Amino acid sequence: MTGYLLRRALHAVLILIGVSLVTFMLMHLTGDPVTLFVPLDASPEDVAIMRTAMGFDRPLHTQYLDFLGGLVRGDFGDSLRHRQPALELVVERLPATLQLTFLALGFAVLAAIPLGVVAASKRGSGFSLLTYLMGLLGQSMPVFWLGLVLILFFSVNLRLLPASGRGSLAHLLMPALTIGTYSMAMLMRLMRATMMEILSQDFIRTARAKGLSERVVVFKHAMRNALIPVVTVMGLQLGTLLGGAVITETVFSWPGLGRLLIQGFNNRDMAVVQAAVFVMALMIVGANLITDLAYGVLDPRVRYG
Amino acid sequence: MKRRSRTRGIRRIFSLMVVSTIIVIFVAGCGQPPTMSPSAPAEEGPEGEIIIAQGVDATTLDPNMHAETPTNNVNIQIYDSLLMRDSDGELFPGLAESYENLDDNTWEFKLREDVYFHNGEAFDAEAVKFTLDRILDPENSSPQYSHISAIDEVRVVDAHTVHIVTSKPFPTLPSQLVARQIVPPKYTSENGADHLASNPVGTGPYRFVEWVRDEKITLTANEDYWRGMPSIKDVVFRVVPETSTRMAELQTGAVDIIVNVPPHQAESLESSDATYVSRAPSSRVIFVGMVTTQPGPLEDVRVRQALNYGIDVDAIVDNVLMGNGIPLASQPVAEIHHGFDENLAPYPHDPERARELLEEAGYGDGLRLSMDSPSGRYLMDRETSQAVAGQLEAIGVDLDLNIQEWGVYVDKIMSRQLTDLFLLGWGNATFDADATLYPFFRSGQQFCYFESEEMDEKLDAVRETMDMDLRAERFNEIMGVLSEEAPWIFLHQQMDVYGVSDRVEWTARPDELIHAFDARIRADN
Repeated sequence: MTGYLLRRALHAVLILIGVSLVTFMLMHLTGDPVTLFVPLDASPEDVAIMRTAMGFDRPLHTQYLDFLGGLVRGDFGDSLRHRQPALELVVERLPATLQLTFLALGFAVLAAIPLGVVAASKRGSGFSLLTYLMGLLGQSMPVFWLGLVLILFFSVNLRLLPASGRGSLAHLLMPALTIGTYSMAMLMRLMRATMMEILSQDFIRTARAKGLSERVVVFKHAMRNALIPVVTVMGLQLGTLLGGAVITETVFSWPGLGRLLIQGFNNRDMAVVQAAVFVMALMIVGANLITDLAYGVLDPRVRYG
Repeated sequence: MKRRSRTRGIRRIFSLMVVSTIIVIFVAGCGQPPTMSPSAPAEEGPEGEIIIAQGVDATTLDPNMHAETPTNNVNIQIYDSLLMRDSDGELFPGLAESYENLDDNTWEFKLREDVYFHNGEAFDAEAVKFTLDRILDPENSSPQYSHISAIDEVRVVDAHTVHIVTSKPFPTLPSQLVARQIVPPKYTSENGADHLASNPVGTGPYRFVEWVRDEKITLTANEDYWRGMPSIKDVVFRVVPETSTRMAELQTGAVDIIVNVPPHQAESLESSDATYVSRAPSSRVIFVGMVTTQPGPLEDVRVRQALNYGIDVDAIVDNVLMGNGIPLASQPVAEIHHGFDENLAPYPHDPERARELLEEAGYGDGLRLSMDSPSGRYLMDRETSQAVAGQLEAIGVDLDLNIQEWGVYVDKIMSRQLTDLFLLGWGNATFDADATLYPFFRSGQQFCYFESEEMDEKLDAVRETMDMDLRAERFNEIMGVLSEEAPWIFLHQQMDVYGVSDRVEWTARPDELIHAFDARIRADN
């Protein structure tokens, strides 16, 4: 187990270095932080002075190695625009994004699993058809559109919820619903399909033949097995949710990591983008590890070595 | 009509101000409240709260280290500058009581006495020197550096007199000083610039209270403000990036002023009882630049004129911008800029004439050009480019339209990879034509794709002309040449559209700024 964890940690380091390199290259390939920073009418001489002062006149590989050097010390450098350490900016916004992401994931899982289980056990019923439609709709509605429709309905028409911002629980509801709907729909469909497959297997027939109650058959024998693929996808969904956060945070003015990342990219604010992408990558790598470890709990046959 | 007389007024003020070495005294007598301030101070104590929603958060509350309007909107509440602009764009004395030119390269500023920063530190000549010096030090990499890099030295003469020495005549220095807000030297040196950036201390009408990043900034009235007590007690800037959400926040009464209302949604705010729309012609003009410096059809003035005749700017303004624009009068600046030639009219839409000119130039069988355009940078920019492409097709010009993200586009512009045509907007907040003409029509400048020795001489001469009347005359002559040579497809001057709650009284300004000091909460609320 320890050896397994060590190997995974080494993989994580390699992944994070890879992510930082790709981010670095993409940022440099698509725009020049200096020209976006100075006024458009700055003279070429003034631009050159700024470029030197900001350190962007150095060769690319030197800039990248310096960045890696800083990284080892936990220093991503200062944001060009905010004039603050980039990591500080990211850490400041992390709670807002985590709050939103976990509430959305919680909503997705808590709604998806029971709905999927019931839909599978009542195959062919009206309820099953309804969940099928919900799944289809939930996965095909664009996050952006859903957010705006919710605002129009609950804020502008009904005046029930605040349209945007952060503060109370009321502020959280619409963004969490918006961001979690896709994952909910996808997990529910998966749960339903897996359950259906499992419910038609031999061991379930055996369990029923033993005279176990339907509840024990469904929830104890079938659901536990059906959860394995769902847990895998849940881990992957964290990435989707973080991606969705970028859009949802914009629609609902939620002061999180996603918006910082978008603005950082628009300004080619290298340090901010690096720090934000790094932290997001770290969360996804961590989620994947937890997912892999969760297999062991759900399926005693899984061994780490 | 009203606007025209205002423009003349602006010009008169300009000529009064900068003319050679005559002392211009703005406020006679000392100690009494400045009579030219556009807002009368509140009679009673400040009351109530207004919430202003912008699309992005301030990036820093250090006013010398950014060049962004949304950030400036917060900073102008906290800080003051030596000179300020009223809602018509006219200059009035800020922290400087008066100024004069000692010679073409030396300016003397007399500073207001008895002004204090929010922390009690006195405002004096040292503060002015400290502020300008930190912008001028390349080590600080201030994006405002290039705006005042013509300043050689800032000299403290006495506690309330400053000399600014420039390396060459710099007639637009007063305009440039409007956007250089003064920071407290002692506080800044003791605590560091990083501290100032999130704990701002100025001399302005509002004191800083709290900043929750990407969420809101809260300010409260500075009751000792030297221009008088603000009328509104608390000012909150909220960040609402998505336009539709901003609209919803205004419609539900959660915010009082919103920026950048999309043209097609303005009507719904106008027809509501709870909101109204305030518009101002902005200092930004939108145009299609032409690369005339490479061999090709655009070298020929007839082709360039044909493209102008081929475009129906009125139709673009009416249908794409829903009326929120003013066609350019076949010159690169708008009426609010010093140097605008009021005798010039927009190119008429005349596709017949356009086809004739193309035929004469040898392109009767049609012409293929490429055009670059940003997306999401200016009001309806992509839609405008598409309309231009559609209209040019009607006169036999096929456009390869290349629409791209702003960061990519800027890179292309700065590395001079533009070919044929490019859509661009140019905001000129100095209100003087030089800041538009020089970068675009002086050979060797970053944006210059129209080179002529005659033009270079004219632009160099006017750049160092300190007499404002003579300056206007010289600008007018240049406008005449440009109108004829048509180095741009002249499109329109952008209109800024704001949504305002009915409980608040506020008027949009041409410089995109929102001064809470000038806003009022209506009595019946």
